[in-house]
Amino acid sequence: MEMRAFDFVSAENADQAVSLLSEHGPNVIVLAGGTDILVDLKHAKHDPDVVVDITRAEDLKGIEVNDEGLRIGALVTHTQIMDDPYIQENFPALVHAAHTIGAVQTRNLGTLGGNLVTCVPSMDSGPALMALEAEVTVAGPDGTRRMGLEEFFVGPRKTVLEHNEVLLDVIIPRKNLGKPTDFLKFGLRKGQALALVNAASALWIGEGNTFKDVKISLGAVAPTVIRAAIAEDFLEGREITPENMAEAGRLAVEDAKPIDDFRASASYRRDLIAVLTKRTLDNAYRLAQGR
Amino acid sequence: MTDVTLTINGEERSASVPPETSLLRLLRDEFYLTGSKLGCDVGDCGACTVIVDGLPVNACLMLAGQVDGRDVVTIEGLATLEDLHPIQKAFEEFASLQCGFCGPGVIIAAKGLLDRNPDPTKEEIKDALSGNLCRCTGYTKMIEAVQDAARILRGEKEAA
Repeated sequence: MEMRAFDFVSAENADQAVSLLSEHGPNVIVLAGGTDILVDLKHAKHDPDVVVDITRAEDLKGIEVNDEGLRIGALVTHTQIMDDPYIQENFPALVHAAHTIGAVQTRNLGTLGGNLVTCVPSMDSGPALMALEAEVTVAGPDGTRRMGLEEFFVGPRKTVLEHNEVLLDVIIPRKNLGKPTDFLKFGLRKGQALALVNAASALWIGEGNTFKDVKISLGAVAPTVIRAAIAEDFLEGREITPENMAEAGRLAVEDAKPIDDFRASASYRRDLIAVLTKRTLDNAYRLAQGR
Repeated sequence: MTDVTLTINGEERSASVPPETSLLRLLRDEFYLTGSKLGCDVGDCGACTVIVDGLPVNACLMLAGQVDGRDVVTIEGLATLEDLHPIQKAFEEFASLQCGFCGPGVIIAAKGLLDRNPDPTKEEIKDALSGNLCRCTGYTKMIEAVQDAARILRGEKEAA
């Protein structure tokens, strides 16, 4: 599988990446970890004139807490998320989600930004971040813009990014720092497996042991990662009980549009949605009780 | 053409290659380091695993231009003229390989683990090798060999 010819340029920072993309566009492609892009180039799914490598852009790296919340640079690898002490302490769900991606070799290369930009419905980085109401910053020729993941994701393998825009970072808002969150993935194996369904729940415990600010997100059950709004609305303010969690699981199925494919039937995916939603709620609740 | 200068197994090497050259092709076709194998070529099998700046990665998933200035260790960088690396010795002693095609990638993945975690659990070893496919022998003897190599590297056991 030989790749077709293209030109290769390397950007030192995000601004330079935007300039290079504008200069060489529109038939250009951004290369970060390469775990998806190299495969696509070999299978000729992309035939770009120019590949803009951003792996040397230091301003797209780093994990830090700032005034806005937790900032994770788009180039942060899945391994770096797993190894970060702050994330380990405050967001074990993000560590677990990163760990379920690919295998060691691909986690050392693959980036959080790349996983979001590639935008496959089964991405494992999406659900926990969406349940934590994460926002992304996009840089283009006219400056930067900020949006939620629901707006960023457009469809299978499609985001709002224009050819001359790059994803800068992901921000988990300050109000959600340390918010008890759980992520579960159901795949057919532990390593190198795509999710049949994945899910995440984030919640606080309100007065009288009630669900407060509960957010549920599902992957691999719709054209993009989605929020389970019907289930969230049902739970908000209700008492935290196993029965209510189970009912939320049933309602989450209504939020989804799973399809039949070679990995699983839609009917099996509906069953998984109900179970994973219930379990992530239960696990997030246990985590909240321990805080 | 893309000009690259990088450190391979401690030695500085340079090449000028078409931009669409993967790191794996660079190693095999330009530097004749054919220990890293071309298996699936899409990051599933791990036969091309090399260590870049201390971390095991799939050489088939990087472009040559991305490794300019970086440090790469391949299977050829493990043994000395006098001796095999303790992981290689353990694989020999435990008869962990049959056809051997997956071996360089598995051994490099194991080195990547032991460099960071000298005393891994069996689960951690399985996790570290989950990106490497073997189609002949199975994984049990590989896991045993990595455990044994870890004991030797920690100085708890004499090399065979």
